[in-house]
Amino acid sequence: MTTSPVFSPNAARETPVISDAAYLGSLKKVTQYYIVTALLALLVGTLMGPLQALNYGGINVYDTPILKALLKSYYQGLSLHGVLNALVFTQFFISGWMLYLPARDLGMRINMKFAWFTYILMTAGLLVAAVPLLTNNATLLYTFYPPMEGSPVFYIGAAVMVGSSLLVVGQVVNMWLRWKRANPGRVTPLVAFMCVATWMMWFVAALGIVTEVVFLLIPWSLGWVAGVDPLISKTLFWWTGHAIVYFWVLPAYISWYAFLPKHAGGRIVSEPLARLTFVLFLLNSTPVGLHHQYADPNISNAWKTVHMFLTFLVVIPSLLTAFSVAASLEDAARARGGKGLFGWMTRLPWGKPMFAAPVLALISFILGGAGGVVNASSTFAPVVHNTAWIPGHFHITVGTATTLTFMGISFWLIPHLTGKRLPSVRLASAAVWTWFVGMMVFALGMHWQGLVGVPRRALVSGAAQNVYKEMPIQIPQMLTAISGMILLVSMLLYFYVLFRMLLSRRVDDGEVSSPIPYSEVISPASPNLAGASALVRYTEPLMALWGVALLLVLLMYGPVLARLFANAELVPGWRLY
Amino acid sequence: MAAPRSAGQRLDHHTLEKYENIWFGIATVMILLLFVTVLASFFSGTYPSLNGEGGHHITGVKNGRLNPKNFAATPFATPGLRQNADGSYEAFVIARAFQFEPAVLKVPVGQPVTIHVTSADVLHGYFIEGTNINATAIPGQVSSFTTTFRRPGTLNLICNEYCGTGHHNMINSVKVEVQEP
Repeated sequence: MTTSPVFSPNAARETPVISDAAYLGSLKKVTQYYIVTALLALLVGTLMGPLQALNYGGINVYDTPILKALLKSYYQGLSLHGVLNALVFTQFFISGWMLYLPARDLGMRINMKFAWFTYILMTAGLLVAAVPLLTNNATLLYTFYPPMEGSPVFYIGAAVMVGSSLLVVGQVVNMWLRWKRANPGRVTPLVAFMCVATWMMWFVAALGIVTEVVFLLIPWSLGWVAGVDPLISKTLFWWTGHAIVYFWVLPAYISWYAFLPKHAGGRIVSEPLARLTFVLFLLNSTPVGLHHQYADPNISNAWKTVHMFLTFLVVIPSLLTAFSVAASLEDAARARGGKGLFGWMTRLPWGKPMFAAPVLALISFILGGAGGVVNASSTFAPVVHNTAWIPGHFHITVGTATTLTFMGISFWLIPHLTGKRLPSVRLASAAVWTWFVGMMVFALGMHWQGLVGVPRRALVSGAAQNVYKEMPIQIPQMLTAISGMILLVSMLLYFYVLFRMLLSRRVDDGEVSSPIPYSEVISPASPNLAGASALVRYTEPLMALWGVALLLVLLMYGPVLARLFANAELVPGWRLY
Repeated sequence: MAAPRSAGQRLDHHTLEKYENIWFGIATVMILLLFVTVLASFFSGTYPSLNGEGGHHITGVKNGRLNPKNFAATPFATPGLRQNADGSYEAFVIARAFQFEPAVLKVPVGQPVTIHVTSADVLHGYFIEGTNINATAIPGQVSSFTTTFRRPGTLNLICNEYCGTGHHNMINSVKVEVQEP
């Protein structure tokens, strides 16, 4: 590595200095609260994981006395697993991560009272929603499809929790607009740009679920309206439900683009390309939700096909990401003397958990993404829809690509925020590798069972009939059961490292000992719009692009929803758990 | 992937731009090809496409909707297979926690059958094991699709949408048999 002069456009970015120590301390503290709350949710959520894995291994542990005392049913355990991991863990982590990064990247002051208020509101929503979940009054699984009815307390708590994330959107966008006013003619720095684009995407995406819960489910669960149209609710849910997966993966992409090259010893490949990727996600993440509804009636095949095409288009920015990150890694390996077409891979720091976590996450995401293209194909979907294939798929996307990246981030971010030290690189590394291996084995077992015809979200190990005993699934069942045990070991390792770190003393100044790992750039964007390439100039006006994204969603969902509302058939709620 | 180059020589902006554009082109072509192949299989009828707006001609069903508390006014009052005057086959199925009605649906082999599914309570899934028949049963709505069973035998009919504590026991069957003349 050669040190480049300070004024070089290719040099790694340095965060603007924040001289107000009290403000910086408060900003770091609120971020730490978000991250730790997220990881506590992950702890409880992943504890349920091995129980589900054993079920798909043909072993029913839900009928043992210990579990019977804690959980009413497999479905309650599964609801906790889905809600805590996929809604709570992700949203809290992202809210901390993508509030802190743009604030530091732009060097802006934000209103800390408002930031703390948002955190407290989000946590209050979580605690309110947790009560019915834990008392078996909201055993609705992650999707809470009506007319299966839960306690109104659950819907209200969930609405407050998810709604709070929109306050973070407001705070980040406001911060960026203030920066733009203070810096006319300047190009937004890359990390802040990626964060703002992701938050804008989430706002457009969240409209669906917020509308569903606030206007349809809360009044219905309180008994103010007689019934609910299940298809309207489901359609609004998937308006959000697919875009939310990009809300999970884009914060990981930010880490892959901006920070992974540094951990590898390489450089960011191309800033303009990274910006293009995030703009494509902003525009294209949301109007694709109908690909979750190929099996539903009363939505025309023409609209399903349009959404399928848009789903395929959203693969392109992910393919661009695969290219960029792989090129960054190759650049790093060759700088260390790596040779050959593939031989350079051996020169990467595989024993470094900050490096291995995002790279293994990325490898997992290549497989997960390929499976996703299959699922989105309307002619293949009926073969795998609601089979075990689907949880096999999303455990190597959100369950690995996102989760493993966030684990890797926590290894440097917590020392950065607190001045504490990572207690053991070896244990952290072991946690990362076992998670990857465990999830690969799990995915193999579940994809396989799904193709044979085992349904998802069912207590198959406790079925009264012999249907599953007669299926040729002994091998994948064994794989799934073993994977659950590997993942249990992995999470115990990870949380041991995490708690030892959190409970240790502050020894360093995090700004010095563990700075934000900005990377050098091969093709930078010019700092001024006037001298920037066309790609940078066209991607910079995010407010206008935000409007286009909103318009695109209204175009792709408006006619579908209008028809559903015109023919609405309200049905009463049921509680069958 | 970049061509092999000697150690120490690092990627530069121009080489990268060339590769980026090639990659972008490959990605776009691949996506378009995928879309075209899916459409081709769609039009060649390799899968029992849900009739987007199903059940329009059924007595008592309007816009594919019906009252889930009053099946009496519709053919769902007597679930099962029936043959229409023109010789075509239709089957009516009700999903309710935790079984399908009829418990054994008898269908003819080698003849197209239009199956109409609805639910009496919550969402259910209508999944016939080993086939690509996979539809949602929604209370108040009718899912309709046409398919041809090519081999005689008994197939498991599995509910694959969470419907409550007995969800995993909601398994019935479809019996494909040679029609008595």
